[in-house]
Amino acid sequence: MPDTLLGRPQHFYRYDDYDRTLVAERVEQFRDQVRRRLSGELTEEQFKPLRLTNGLYLQLHAYMLRIAIPYGTLSSRQLRKLADIARKYDRGYGHFTTRQNLQLNWIKLEDAPDALAALAEVDMHAMQTSGNVIRNVTADHFAGAAADEIEDPRIWCEIVRQWSTLHPEFSFLPRKFKIAITGSPNDRAAVRVHDIGLRLWRNEKGAVGFEVIVGGGLGRTPLIGKTLREFLPKDELLAYLEATLRVYNRYGRRDNLYKARIKILVHEVGTEKMREEVEAEYAAIKDGALKLAPETIEAIARQFAPPALPHRSAVVPEVEGLKLEDRNFALWLKSNVAPHRMAGYRIVTASLKPAGAPPGDASSVQMEGVADIADAYSQGEIRVSHEQNLVLPHVAVEDLPAVYRALERLGFAEANVGKITDIIACPGLDYCALANARSIPVAQSISNHFAGLARQHDIGDLKIKISGCINACGHHHVGHIGILGVDKNGVELYQISLGGDVDFGKTALGTILGPAVEADKVVEAVDALVTTYLEARGEGERFVDTYRRIGAEPFKVRMYAAL
Amino acid sequence: MAKNLSGDLQVASANRLTDGVVVFLDDAGQWTARLDRAALARDKRSAEILLERAKAEAFSVIDPFLVAVTEDDDGTIEPLSLREKIRASGLTFDAIAADAVRYA
Repeated sequence: MPDTLLGRPQHFYRYDDYDRTLVAERVEQFRDQVRRRLSGELTEEQFKPLRLTNGLYLQLHAYMLRIAIPYGTLSSRQLRKLADIARKYDRGYGHFTTRQNLQLNWIKLEDAPDALAALAEVDMHAMQTSGNVIRNVTADHFAGAAADEIEDPRIWCEIVRQWSTLHPEFSFLPRKFKIAITGSPNDRAAVRVHDIGLRLWRNEKGAVGFEVIVGGGLGRTPLIGKTLREFLPKDELLAYLEATLRVYNRYGRRDNLYKARIKILVHEVGTEKMREEVEAEYAAIKDGALKLAPETIEAIARQFAPPALPHRSAVVPEVEGLKLEDRNFALWLKSNVAPHRMAGYRIVTASLKPAGAPPGDASSVQMEGVADIADAYSQGEIRVSHEQNLVLPHVAVEDLPAVYRALERLGFAEANVGKITDIIACPGLDYCALANARSIPVAQSISNHFAGLARQHDIGDLKIKISGCINACGHHHVGHIGILGVDKNGVELYQISLGGDVDFGKTALGTILGPAVEADKVVEAVDALVTTYLEARGEGERFVDTYRRIGAEPFKVRMYAAL
Repeated sequence: MAKNLSGDLQVASANRLTDGVVVFLDDAGQWTARLDRAALARDKRSAEILLERAKAEAFSVIDPFLVAVTEDDDGTIEPLSLREKIRASGLTFDAIAADAVRYA
């Protein structure tokens, strides 16, 4: 169904009148709330929950607007609007987060309603990016394009989005609630470390349904989710989610902030008891209003109909020639280009981690540049990954050289996706009111130290994840090398863990190596860990594979000896 | 040489309501973005009074609180904690500029 956005068909959900009215009304409500706050009619105590409901936080230096990017999918028009908002109302850059959101760090309160109104022009908002509600639903960033995809998870993300938006029963949950969905056997959405993770899979009868994983999460008490249902028919999804949320809403702890997430409930009552409660609730409601009619599913699915990609050649002489001439291009093809469901196409990841840059940050000019590339070469579509990169999902093989050059001009062609400098880092103490230590400068130091591409590719796949506090926005628990900043008597120290992973079937939490290290020793510590791996690795082993084989001790001994 | 490392010296700080900018209460009871103009409380009783004044002037700011600082021989004051140092002086790295094509 063609849309009017730049005259280009849009292959994901477009707001209907209901959505537009809802979002427009919220903008005007917030405009009035801001006016009343600025006039003194509302106190901060009264206003704070209202601004948070609209994604407006107060950080160390300024207000921060957290914009929801549903299931990490953007049109070029939306990305241009984000760039425009960042330039007009902020300092001309934004930070893509591990929840596929965009954070603007310098918004003025008086400008926030106008920024939200501008977002609404492109079917976007900042609702439910804060508070004890169901947050923005995240998805595989290769959704709709991946060669290994069973079904596009965004159809289900959108169904969950519509069900959960301003859900009256779930507006005051014990704590925030995060849902992630993947449609591929290779989990790129980290579904086992979410409050609810959903994995689409095909059973032996050929039917596609969900594995429902509940009670995962990182933060203060990291836990891997437990499977409550091996196979849930798709049309029963909302009833099952409603049942799970009801059980959580009823029994989740409200007496202790640190024990309020559903993971604690599942951990305390046990998987069996949790399943029993959810199934009982589910049995009572499964044939009710939440059972999804085939035409409802079909109507949403139609909006995610894949673009009609013309046949293109999978083998292009120019690409093969450039591979031989340009070493960096050849490395880029290996690390930043992934298989597409169609033979003549590829998925390209634009690395937002050039050497020494703050991970996940992009200027307005860069965002506009990516939007231009998407229009020219990727059907006008962009995805945001939870690993803080941008993805061009539908690039023809023959266009890869042009896309590479265009990304190179933006500084986003670093051939480092999945490598040691493709670091996830939260904003840390430079921005965040909750942080205990800085994350970005640590990431920058590591990035600069390992900047050489040949060395990075020799080291191979290695995921470093850095958080500036125990809330773990930087996912340090599941980093092959996890780095957690702590404050000890006013000094920043960094706790290092090894062996975390989110790969499906191998999901693991990292093990802390020992005493935390000083900020200026982190690079040396990481270097020692890498050296240990390089000396011990077997044929084809990644860093984390070697760790699993030889254990923590050799790494630990080498690292502390180096400090 | 820094004095009062025990944290007896304090200033009152808050975030400005309109834009969240970090501000400090000066001797005239005005909020200023300049730490060097902040009113300095040198003992516990003065700090209590300073905080009361800050709260009384809180119409244009959010949640005033006391920040422990040190004072050098030349009168330069600096927050004790890293968090407050960053609040007072900004990011510890260079953010990318709006018109930048590359981070550099």
